[in-house]
Formats: sequence, structure tokens, C-alpha cells
Amino acid sequence: MMAVLSRDNLVPLLKRLSEKMEVVAPILVEGTPVFATWKGEPLALEENPLCSPVEFLLPQKEVLFSYVQYSGRYTFEAALWRARLIFGIRPCDLKAISILDMLFGAEPHDEAYLARRRSTVLVAYNCIRPGVDCSCLQMDAGPGGREGFDLQLTEIGSGYLTEAGSPAGAKMLEEQAEFFSEAREEHLQEKEKLLKEAREMLEPREDRSPSAIKNAMEKADWEALGKRCLACGSCTLVCPVCHCFNILDQGVPDGQRIRCRDCCLLSGFSRMASGANPRATQGERLKNWYLDKFEYIPANTGLWGCVGCGRCSRVCLGEMDRWALEVKR
Amino acid sequence: MEKFHTTCIYCGCGCGLFLHVEDGRAVGASPSPLHPMSRGRLCIKGWLAGDFVGHPDRLKHPLMRRGERLARTSWEEAVETTASRFRKMGDEFGPNSLGILTSAKGTNEENYLLMKLARAALKTNNVDHVARLCHAPTVAGLGYALGSGAMTNPISSLARADALLVVGSNTTEQHPLVASYILQAQSRGAKLIVFDPRRTQIADLADIYLCPRLGTDIAWINAMLNVIVKEGLADENFLSSRTEGFEALKEAVCRYTPEKAEEISGIPAQKLKEAARAYASAGRAAIVYAMGITQHITGTDNVQALANLALVTGNLGREGTGIYPLRGHQNVQGACDMGALPDFYSGYQKVSLSRPKFEEAWSTDLPGDPGLTAVEMMKAAEEGRLKGLLVVGENPMMSYPDISQVKRALASLEFLAVSDIFPTETTELADVVLPAACFAEKDGTFTSTERRIQRIRYAVPPPSEARPEWMWICELMGKFGVSADYSSPAEVMEEIARLTPIYGGVRYHRLGIAGLQWPCPAEDHPGTGVMHVEKFPIGRARLRPVEHQEPGEAADQDYPFLLTTGRSLYHFHTGTMTRRTSLLDREVPVPVLEVNSQDAQQLGIRTGQRVTVESRRGKLCLEAKVTPDISRGTLFLPFHFHEAPANALTNSALDPQSKIPELKVTAVRIRRAIE
Repeated sequence: MMAVLSRDNLVPLLKRLSEKMEVVAPILVEGTPVFATWKGEPLALEENPLCSPVEFLLPQKEVLFSYVQYSGRYTFEAALWRARLIFGIRPCDLKAISILDMLFGAEPHDEAYLARRRSTVLVAYNCIRPGVDCSCLQMDAGPGGREGFDLQLTEIGSGYLTEAGSPAGAKMLEEQAEFFSEAREEHLQEKEKLLKEAREMLEPREDRSPSAIKNAMEKADWEALGKRCLACGSCTLVCPVCHCFNILDQGVPDGQRIRCRDCCLLSGFSRMASGANPRATQGERLKNWYLDKFEYIPANTGLWGCVGCGRCSRVCLGEMDRWALEVKR
Repeated sequence: MEKFHTTCIYCGCGCGLFLHVEDGRAVGASPSPLHPMSRGRLCIKGWLAGDFVGHPDRLKHPLMRRGERLARTSWEEAVETTASRFRKMGDEFGPNSLGILTSAKGTNEENYLLMKLARAALKTNNVDHVARLCHAPTVAGLGYALGSGAMTNPISSLARADALLVVGSNTTEQHPLVASYILQAQSRGAKLIVFDPRRTQIADLADIYLCPRLGTDIAWINAMLNVIVKEGLADENFLSSRTEGFEALKEAVCRYTPEKAEEISGIPAQKLKEAARAYASAGRAAIVYAMGITQHITGTDNVQALANLALVTGNLGREGTGIYPLRGHQNVQGACDMGALPDFYSGYQKVSLSRPKFEEAWSTDLPGDPGLTAVEMMKAAEEGRLKGLLVVGENPMMSYPDISQVKRALASLEFLAVSDIFPTETTELADVVLPAACFAEKDGTFTSTERRIQRIRYAVPPPSEARPEWMWICELMGKFGVSADYSSPAEVMEEIARLTPIYGGVRYHRLGIAGLQWPCPAEDHPGTGVMHVEKFPIGRARLRPVEHQEPGEAADQDYPFLLTTGRSLYHFHTGTMTRRTSLLDREVPVPVLEVNSQDAQQLGIRTGQRVTVESRRGKLCLEAKVTPDISRGTLFLPFHFHEAPANALTNSALDPQSKIPELKVTAVRIRRAIE
């Protein structure tokens, strides 16, 4: 099911939807695009923000429940998830969410993730102008999205070709019909043409395919790279696929059980209570990060653990080429 | 979820970041891609900068001492009690019986108001802050040599250097963003030369790594100058047109041959020559230094020695050159700029020269007698000369040298008021505790180590009754009859700009994502990246010969080891914030003493074993970590941990010029703990 949304109707549509649920969209804060609650600000759709919208499904820090002690007995108060629509998710981040759905949806289910996921509507936005660091094409994660969205928009000359990818998306199109006009074959052709052009922009770039990275992993001098790694954890914290977390209770006698993002590049992540560490050096930890993306996640999900968004390269404090696995020259 | 652009609270890099806020709680942080220095990057502390904000331990109510315990009180009573006790002591013992320690964690506006409170309301110049323990020698040393005691270039300028001399700075751990620019330069082919008694990560990455004995920096720096002068590597043109005093310097350094320096510092003469040539023959060379240079009784001379090196080779006033003192707190630069110093008003205007200007501006008479520095205040308190102290956002019971002396000093006070965001070892001793709003809960500005004045923003409400400090400072000033009816920090900044030439053009509406780098004298001035381009503020830069002097405490038969202190990547200062950030505290949960592998073998110490380390002032029992990365006879201990506070051991011997204590060298003995 598809329809065309005129440019003028995008903001009114989001306004209407924001009456029903929280709308998250890329907006400018101090000139920088960020995903945040949309309150009518101009949309920032030129580039994908540095911090991916995955944080709305797997926050940096979330309260799982609160506990209250009364006369020696504990009562628990579960956190409430709000209905949310995320607008402007790029295909790479959408693919990352598909991977997370598989990982958190596997037995035993991660209820906190799934509760957020179930109450979230995903509105994707195809990339017809890929960014400089993007290699989504080689990771099979873009520039156009194929599945996993409720609605997907592609900017075409006259507006946005809007496709429904789920029953919920189809229902939204129906309910908000007043904002849409009928999509014709030529609109679909225009979308395909624009995405083909985007693919052509991505194609000639250097080889950052899984096989190239796996080759680089074979050759990499992990200890030399580990020496340059400043253990900032940024690559794990910007990666839309990274999902490790830690759980702690904060507050005595009353308090909260908190889940917060963790980071496998920290030595404490793998250190045992005895002090022994199976991944003792920074080089080994860095290698593990790559093995997770190109061996373990594929083994568990059938999908690469990298979506080619290029964020890890942008944030690396160690001045490493994250694809060739060499010191930058 | 809302995102607020703000400035990181930890080190002096001053990274821009977004604070993520949901339902009035800080739930995360992320890097700011358009920030001119941090460019979308953060270290792990920066990523977790918002984590402590909502911690349940936060101080939520004003507290007042009732006998043994601190009990909840009202803001009115807390402020009124503070005012009346200070007034009474001032009347009885004179204004110099009072003092204020301001906060390198507070905003510029709060530091300005606190120094105004000290001078205009309490009528004393006894105002200082933790810069006394970190970069007072930089303010004094670079101030004398160049006419400005701050970083000469923007941090990003490092990426364009052809040689980098890193001295006494564990850059990858303490200033990771600075380290990333150094790595960038090295990737481009620049030579990295590191001097450090520990083989740190940056030392490990260096092209030339040299390991001096503790407290011998002047000897090897002078020897580098000796080589440079002898081999004709000096920039004669720069020396003749921009500097004065070269002849005297030349005469002094000719006595410091590399061979003599080897005797003193233990650095092989040949290696030292190599380092001198690499630095002096580079087209653009930069010097990066930190506490390893300043925390010595020769701190100011050490800084002068580095300034001599840069001046003799003409490495100032251009991109890629310069001197980069790395400041430890996110606003220790600003606290200095604001005149939270006993001898300066804001903008380094000397009390002795600018008093009439400030008397007129504040419409009151101001004290002229010199104030006490931070460590001197502790001594004065112990001797009963200082009766009342206000400590704002600082924890001297952990961060000052010789904490048993600090404890005696604080206990001797008649009245101690402390403002902080968490309970600390210092609030425990207070008569009045004021709960403060943290960086996420107020507006204001911080000035980073590269002189960049940047905004912080109100993003979440403070817990319960906690308030931004500028509010109660104004109330307190009002109680002393000094008018302080500022409606916002922006209004305070307008007054700062009016009275402080280097901040003259700073207005909140001008402080976008890039902030403004001082000197910024006028509203149409774009700020200054590279300083000293055409001339120095004092005209010609001053070369001054400096001589090697042994540390205040030498190793001897009773105390055969030298202990040096520092920080870990994962913790900050006395740990009040980072030890309440779960990921950071998990990373380094306990204090460990680094011991050289050969020394450990002789002493029969293994990693993980408990050891007793003892100085003339105190004794600690903690775990050892055996490592080849520290020189023989040297021990290292970070000072974040209340379980084994490093400063129970350290020496409060002072540099006579800047009054910084020699935190980097303490004679100690060590043995296996009996369990």
C-alpha cells in the first residue's frame, strides 16, 4: 500500500500524529541534527544524526522498575512505556533495529526492549543523498529500506512517496488519508530511479564490504591497534547494532533498578570477580568487537552486525581507519 | 526526549556535548559533531557526564551542625547563620581571619561572584581555589615569560605540529581529546617526544620516550637548550626581534651539558641530544605539559624552562607551535580568569594596581593587603589565624597535600561552610552544608584550557531544595550590604565583561556552539585562537635562566622510594562524581599502588597483594600492581580513593613563587602488609 504526501502536508501530518503519541524526529539543536521529541520545529532531514534513534528502544539509561520498602516488605512499580513514533529513521538504522529485534526477541524475551518496541511506530526515510562515510550498500542495509518499517518515505520531486510496511502502517495511511494523494506507477519509478542514483554514488567507493573487513581482520595487528585505542567506548556507544548493557540497583532502601548501556571495550566488561580477564588487552577487546559484528551476530541472526553507517569511524579517538584496520595516514 | 547542548564537566578540554533529558531526568549524553574542538568525539567520561546527575546521594537540603550531626535546616537559616558568623568573626578578629575557596567546577559567574563576595563583602583577599594545586605555576610562569598565563594556541593547532614535546602529561588518560590531536599529528608524520617517569600510553606511542628521575626537569630542559644553542638550532631572528634576556640564559645553560643532565636526571645524554634536535629542527613544534611539570617546589621555574625552550626555537605565535598547559578541571581556567586568586581581580588585573578601578565599579572600599593562597589558608587555620572558611565545590580533605594537616586545620576553624553536590569528606566537617545545583541544572559559562568560553544550560531541575550557587552568593552579598540583584548569570557576565578587558566582548547571545576564545576585548571582536602572533602582551617575551634544585624530599635510608600521584582515565579528582557513575567505578573500583617489577621482586610483592606504604606524614594499606612501566625506585598512586587517600602521604612543601605544593614527589617506604 502506498500514497504520496505533498511537501506541505508533512508537518501537518506529524502534528496530527503528535496529538496521539510522542513524535520523535531529527531536529536542529545548535545547528546540529539530533533525534528528539518533535514540537513543531523545522525537520533536519539532510543527514543522519550522529546518535542513532535506536536509543529510543535501548536507552543509554532506563529505569526497569522502582522498588519501595515498607515495613520490611518490598513493593515494585513497573516503568510505563509511552506510545512513540520515530520519524526519519534511515535504512541503516532500520536494519539495525531488525537485528536487535531478533536478538532481544530470542528466548528468553527481553521484555523491557520488546515493550518499548511494541509501543513504537517506525517511519523510515530513504537515503537519496548518502553521506560521505556511508557504506550501507556493501552491508546490504541501504540506501533504500526493504522491510522492518511501518511507513517508509522517499523524497521525490513532488513530495514523499509513502509506503506501508506493516498492518499498523497501512492503517495509519488509511486513517490519515486526507494528507495523502494517490500514488501512481511513475512515482514508484521515480523512487527507483533516485535510489539507483544513490547506489551509483555509493558503488565506486573503496571496498568496505564484509569480506574486505574480514580480510582486514585477518591481517590486522591487533596489539598495535589496541595501543592506539583510547578506550573511549565511542564506537560501541554510537553503533546502532551494539546493545550490551549492565543492570544495577540504585538507592537503599527505596530505589530503582536501572539498565544502562555497557561497552565491551572497557576492561571491566570482561573482567572476572577474581581479577582475571579473558580479554586482557585493548587489542583483544577491539578484536572481539569486530568478531561480534562479523562472526557472532551473523551466526546468531544470519545478518551482518554492521550496517555501514560509518559512525564508528567518525567518533574514533584513536585515529584508526575502522575499515582497513590500520593507523590513519 | 529533549537534547540540550552543553559543556562537559570533567577535564579542561571543554568538549561540547548533548545532554539527553526525559521526564526531567538526565538519561544520557552524546557528542557534538559541530563543536570546533571535540568534533563529534568524547572520551568515556564525557559519554557518561550525565550519569551522576540524578544519583540518590545528591545533597538535597541545607544542613546545619547540631552537636555531632548535621541536621536539615532552611535556606534562610543556613544563609543567615553563615552571614552572621562571618560578620561576627570579621568584627572580632579582622577580615583576614576569613577566607573563601572557590570552585574550579563552578561557573565563571559563580567564581566572579565569590571573589566579589570575598573582597567587597568580607573585605579580604583570602580567596583562592584548586588551581593552586595544579597550574598556579603556569599562571605565574607563563604570565612572567609571555605576559599571559594560558595556553597559547587552540588545541586543534596541535594537529599541525611537526614535533610534539609532551612532558609530565598522561595525555591519553587525562585529556583524551588532546591526545587524539597529537595522534593525528603523528599520523601525518610528526615526531612525538614524551618525557615521563611512567611509561604511559602516550609514552608507549612516542617516537622518542625518555624517563627522567622525579623532580629533575630543569636539568634536562636546560641541557636541551644547551644542545640547541651549541648546534646552532636557535631561532636567532625570533630571539633578536621578540625576546629579551638571551645572553644570561645562554650563560646559564652552557653549564648544563647533556652529560651533566644525565647525571642528574638519569636520561642518557645521547637520547637527550636526539630529543633536542627533533624538537628544535621541526618547522613547527609544540610543547604539551601538565601536572608533572607544575606540582614541584620548582613548578614556576619548570614552566619558565619550557617557555625558554619554545622562545629560543621561535615556536610561538604560529599554528602548530605553542605551549599547551593542560588544565585538569573543566573551569579551572575560568576560575583563574575570574580572579579567584589572592593577588588578582578578574582578567589577571593585579590587586596592587587595579584596586581603585574595582572600588569605583563596586562602590565600596576594597582590601589592599595580600591574601593567602589555598595551602597557606590551611596553615593559617591550623595556627588559629584563619577562623572562618567558605569552601565551594571542592574537597580539600581528599585533594590537598597532607590531609591529616588539612583535617587539623579544618577542625581548628570556628566556622566552616561548604557547598557541594554530594556529601564529601569535607562536608562531614562543616558547620553549614549548602546543596548545590550541578552543571545540568543551571545556566552559566565554563572556560576550557584553550581559553574557550562556553555555555552550560539548565536542562533538568535540581534535586529538591538544591540551588545554583550564584543565587545564595548574591543573598550572602546582600546581607553584607553589597548590592547583588542580578537576575541571571547572563547579567553577571555583562558585569564581568565591563570590568575584565580579556572578556570585554563576551555576551551570552554571542556564545554559540564554538563559544569565544579570550582575549576578546570588544563586542565586534571574534576572539583569539593563536596568541602572540605579532607581539607579546608585555612587548618582548622574557627569557629567564633557571637552575636545577633537588625536590623538597629526597629518598633516604628510612624512606627509600619516591611516590608520585596522579589520576586514572576513569575517575576524576576526588571521585565524588565518577565513583557514583557505575561504569566508571566498575572499571577502576579500588586504589592500587604501582610498583616497579624489579623493586617488587626484591620486596617479594606480587600484583594483588596488600602493601603498606608510609611517608613522614601518613600510612596507607592497599593493593599493589606490579608493572615494568614505572621507573625503579618510583611508586604511583591515583588520589581518587577515600579508601586509600594518596594525600595522606604527600608533602605540603611549597614552590616559593606560586605556592603550589610538591604533590609529585614524596619520600616513602613500602613493605608487604601483614595480614
